[in-house]
Amino acid sequence: MNDDGGTAALTTIVMLPLLLVVLVGVLEMGALRAVAYRAGAAADLATIVAVGDQDQFELAQSGRLRLAADAADVARDYFARNLLATAPALGASVSAIAASAEIASFPIAPSLDPRTGARYDRPTVRLIASIPVRTPGFAALLMPATTTVTIRSVSSPR
Amino acid sequence: MKTRTPLLLTTILLMSSVPGYAREPREDQGFPPPPVPDPVAFVVPAGLYYVTDTYVADVVATSDATTVYSTTTVHQSTGTYARVIDTVDTGASSAFDGMAFNGRGALTNGQALAGTYYENFVLTAGGYVPVSIVFFQDDSETKRGQSVPSSTVAPKASSSSPPAVTVTQRRDEVPPSPSTRGQVPAEPARPTMRAGISLAPDGPTLASAEVLRGRLVQFWPRVFANDVAVPIRSWRLLSAEPDRLSAISGSAQPFVAQWIRMPSPGVSWSLRFEIFSEVAPTERLEAVISVTVRSPALVD
Repeated sequence: MNDDGGTAALTTIVMLPLLLVVLVGVLEMGALRAVAYRAGAAADLATIVAVGDQDQFELAQSGRLRLAADAADVARDYFARNLLATAPALGASVSAIAASAEIASFPIAPSLDPRTGARYDRPTVRLIASIPVRTPGFAALLMPATTTVTIRSVSSPR
Repeated sequence: MKTRTPLLLTTILLMSSVPGYAREPREDQGFPPPPVPDPVAFVVPAGLYYVTDTYVADVVATSDATTVYSTTTVHQSTGTYARVIDTVDTGASSAFDGMAFNGRGALTNGQALAGTYYENFVLTAGGYVPVSIVFFQDDSETKRGQSVPSSTVAPKASSSSPPAVTVTQRRDEVPPSPSTRGQVPAEPARPTMRAGISLAPDGPTLASAEVLRGRLVQFWPRVFANDVAVPIRSWRLLSAEPDRLSAISGSAQPFVAQWIRMPSPGVSWSLRFEIFSEVAPTERLEAVISVTVRSPALVD
């Protein structure tokens, strides 16, 4: 019995750091996923709002929906606003993240996205952003303290 | 004494009463008289006059070596107004070329005919509304070995009798009457009426339109007489499926609709209107516009 008890204690002492590493990694990965999900939702809402901003003059002239000229700016503005709720977890300011986002509007359909190669059959707003997320758990494991997450959102009236 | 006091008070009250002029309920049941348009608000186009002679047809008469281009009219008043908007010489261009419903002819050498452009108006509650433009040709050419246009413009009121040789009527089947144009105003017999729906008060008419779900959209019933917009007397919605709407009839106001429910994919809804205009109040016109409701959505 004494021999078994010593073996168990030794095993625990040896495995504990490994268990802690796994635990920290899992928790940080979950937190990262949560931030990425919230950033993706912020991008989705921004592009949807931008698509709702239609050119009323063009609608009266042709009867067809066409994106307003400032649709990309509207998407960028709302993207920054929506990211504010996640700002403490981000590795850069929301304004900097929104400013560096690749946002393009395709007011007339059909159109081809030169960035992704996608073909859009309706007026479309596309957003691609690289979001630095703070990952202190990874830093404790001697990994990068900031992990970059890339999100993509595309919206059009359907 | 106690019994006489109330009687005395009642008598005093009755004697001091004043006849009251009570309101007669039936007097207030009628609708107020329609507002009389302010005559100051009317803008009378310069040079406007009442039409007494109406355009009938363009006439080309040839006598020996001379060909005369003139216009026949009929002494008839249709309650409309007209004014001269341009007088052109042979071969000269005008800003109104191509706008007259009867066109502007040309000499044998291709030069445009001389003559006068008239703009016709109808008087509505909103003022004088232009309905059409007509061109009165007045020119001639004489052959001297070759076709040489005489370049004569004769807008005078002289009633020169037309050559009684060969008369070719270019338009309308009405027998030509003596060509005496002079200063007579002109007016088309009956304008071509057309109705449509636009999304702006002065926008083009549309056969179909895409609208966003939840948005208030204004549909403007419009009527055109010879492709010139004219005021609407009334409109009525005959069939539609919006979730919310302003009214099913009106006059100067647009029809406002809103769709909340999304249609099935590929399904469009139609709005059908019955429209009456001020120019032809008894002529019933119909206009239809197809509506496709869309909503912003994510693309996979």
